[in-house]
Amino acid sequence: MPQLCLYFQLHQPLRLNGYDVFDLSNSSRYFDLEPDQHNAEIFRKVAAKSYLPMLRLLLELIGRHSDFCLALSCSGVFLEQAQQYRPDVIELLKQLAATGRVEFLAETYYHSLSSLFSETEFKTQIRLHSQAVHEYFGQTPTIFRNTELVYANQIGWLIAKLGFQGMLTEAVPRYLGDRPKTRLFRSYTEPSIPLLLKHAELSDDVAFRFSNRGWPGYPLTADKYLDWVNIYPADQLVNLFMDFETFGEHQWADTGIFAFFAEFVDRCVAQSWNTFVTPGQVCTPFYQHGRARPELLELPVYDVPDPISWADVDRDLTAWIDNPLQQDSIRQLYGLQDAIVRTGDMRLITDWRRLQISDHFYYMCTKWAADGDVHAYFSPYPSPYEAYRRYSIVLTDLFDRAGVTPTSGQPLY
Amino acid sequence: MVLVPIYCQLPLVHFPEYDGLDENFVRIYVMDSHRVFMIGWEYPPLNSGGLGVACQGLTEALAADGGLIYFTLPYQLPSSVSHMRVLACRHPAWDEPADAPPFSAYRSVGRDSTQPAPSRHRFSPDTMAAGLPGSQLEQQVAEYAQVVTQRARQYSDFDVIHAHDWMSLPAAQQVKALSNRPMVAHVHSTEHDRIPHGHGSRYIIDAERRGLAAADYVIAVSNYTKRLLVHKYGLDPARVRVVHNGIHPLQEPAEPGRHHFAHRRPVVVFMGRMTVQKGPDYFLRLAAALVKKQPNILLVMAGSGDMYHQLLLSAAGQNLSTSVLFSGFVRDRQRQVLLDRADVLVMPSVSEPFGLVALEAAQRHTPVIVSKSSGVSEVLPAAVQLDFWDIDAMVDSIISLLNDPGQAAHQARSQLNQLDSLSWHKAAQLVKRIYHQALQKRK
Repeated sequence: MPQLCLYFQLHQPLRLNGYDVFDLSNSSRYFDLEPDQHNAEIFRKVAAKSYLPMLRLLLELIGRHSDFCLALSCSGVFLEQAQQYRPDVIELLKQLAATGRVEFLAETYYHSLSSLFSETEFKTQIRLHSQAVHEYFGQTPTIFRNTELVYANQIGWLIAKLGFQGMLTEAVPRYLGDRPKTRLFRSYTEPSIPLLLKHAELSDDVAFRFSNRGWPGYPLTADKYLDWVNIYPADQLVNLFMDFETFGEHQWADTGIFAFFAEFVDRCVAQSWNTFVTPGQVCTPFYQHGRARPELLELPVYDVPDPISWADVDRDLTAWIDNPLQQDSIRQLYGLQDAIVRTGDMRLITDWRRLQISDHFYYMCTKWAADGDVHAYFSPYPSPYEAYRRYSIVLTDLFDRAGVTPTSGQPLY
Repeated sequence: MVLVPIYCQLPLVHFPEYDGLDENFVRIYVMDSHRVFMIGWEYPPLNSGGLGVACQGLTEALAADGGLIYFTLPYQLPSSVSHMRVLACRHPAWDEPADAPPFSAYRSVGRDSTQPAPSRHRFSPDTMAAGLPGSQLEQQVAEYAQVVTQRARQYSDFDVIHAHDWMSLPAAQQVKALSNRPMVAHVHSTEHDRIPHGHGSRYIIDAERRGLAAADYVIAVSNYTKRLLVHKYGLDPARVRVVHNGIHPLQEPAEPGRHHFAHRRPVVVFMGRMTVQKGPDYFLRLAAALVKKQPNILLVMAGSGDMYHQLLLSAAGQNLSTSVLFSGFVRDRQRQVLLDRADVLVMPSVSEPFGLVALEAAQRHTPVIVSKSSGVSEVLPAAVQLDFWDIDAMVDSIISLLNDPGQAAHQARSQLNQLDSLSWHKAAQLVKRIYHQALQKRK
């Protein structure tokens, strides 16, 4: 049986309220954040369906099996909302952290795409996030996962320079070739960093296909899934990365997803000892006293010249930066950086960072077919055009507050 | 040297018999009230645009003068109207709810003029593939005519038939044949306006031709429209009378100024359906040129329409996301606030029979720039009048209005003065005069 590395992502965006042109310079409330408003309602709904039952299940499994472990990553905006709207979610996360068998990963506090547009902002948000993880859970993350597993050589290099000891990303065939994704790779950079590649097929069997009656694998049982995992021998590493909301929200409780997961873990543990590993356990052997050991360079190289992600069939950035609506929104937003940061006005800076949440751009995606359906499922707006329309009005107010006159100047990249 | 467009050299109203229209004249010749069988298509609050508003203004003024009006609609009005008798003429085959207006007469036909014109023959591949809504509309108009004609039998005590735009013309022709009463066709817009450059629906143009030919008199909402009717529909100019729309005085005073929103930026507004006819794409070109010259200008586009998505993409594609904002469709209070706030309103229509929004903006003390291809320019000569395609001239004009408060205030004042002479009462007098002539001719 291969080693299994589980990582689940916890994130909830802040959705814009109905801010319209008549609010310009009259109000700077872009998000409804009160406990009785939109974002809180969604958070509590997802908490009831997914966060609370799944966190309890994880606690139970950790209690039952002394060799079960996994990794979680919580965006900063998730932690803020949990603290405000459902503190019991934070409580459960803290209990999990206290078991010592849940590794919390680093990411950008605002679940942003800053890695692509601003090195300083990227670093700042990682720092803010690591501080938050330390405050909440008493851990200092050593492994980094970027928003939506966005990765390119350049990002690997930055993360390595920041002292992280591993990073998660997607196995994309155009860069992986026919090599197995069940090995540990390293970045094509100097300094280099270990890379864990998501096993898309096995991850998506659970995350996307579990309740799909039209899928030949339906119904997916723990036995069947175990057989598929067992194809890989003991020296291989299967990385199962997915949204935490897979459990109870994307796949509702009545699909049997919770029972499936519990049984799968039970069966794995029964079959062999120490099946489960965390990213840190996999990567830290390549470091000694904070410095990379020579063995790191013996790992196979994963060379990714252009950014990839775990989204859509394309596994690229087109979910967020494809059409002009997305491109100009992002260009204008990051173009404000210097003016906003210079003000030192924390309310303004926070609003600017909240507008960096990648979901804003995801909602503007105009791709068709199956991917479009996924985008529409997650979007609070009736259309990508409406998402853009509202966003552009808020952005205009932000320019006003920063005292910046819009320009049609600098290029995006 | 300033070039004066040809229509400015013409008197505002062509027909000498209208000059010196005074109370005495009205009393002697027009005072006898008529019973009118009026065939409509839309009416507020369920209206898609200016047609419904004009029908309301005109019928209220006619009724105030003692006229008796039957007014047909293809749907049930949600609120009651006291000044006339509204006849809901729904065909039993229609399955929409009774109060669902078939606005598609104005909406569905808009299309991109840069695309080649599809063949609109009834059984052409284009029509078969994509033309179902069009053919449904044609059928609906024909069915409406049937029901209206039945109703005309019930309410047969009318003197004159008055039909508004092409959707009502087939009905008017049938009622005329049935009743042998004179028919007046009122043209608020033509297919040549809605879809410029000859790409319009053959079917609709034919319906307009037949209906206008059958009318005893044709009322055009402007000289601009009259010229179009003469040149494109071959009407005898003597049969076409111009009656400009009126405008209701404001109930509450306007509140012009920058206190409403976006206090620190000059605001230039487009308000109208986002279709080829209204020139929103020219407004966007204007926006790009304006922002290059004066980057702090904020442009707001209000409305929706078949070009909406294309305009959003184009604005973003030109990096105008924080310079051009889309307010969506605005009504009532928001509409007023936007017009109050606007430092300049631009109406760059490719072809605009009238253009009520220019008058509304003028009422709210907002300097207006209107396309020369518009009817409203005839009654609001104080507005800046430019070719809709002349981006450079528009830029200069806007920059100068924005940066010279004296000039803007002067223009706003002159516009207000010109509004004084526009009223629905006056329009109703002219219409009654036309009824009178039509009846005289019959005798």
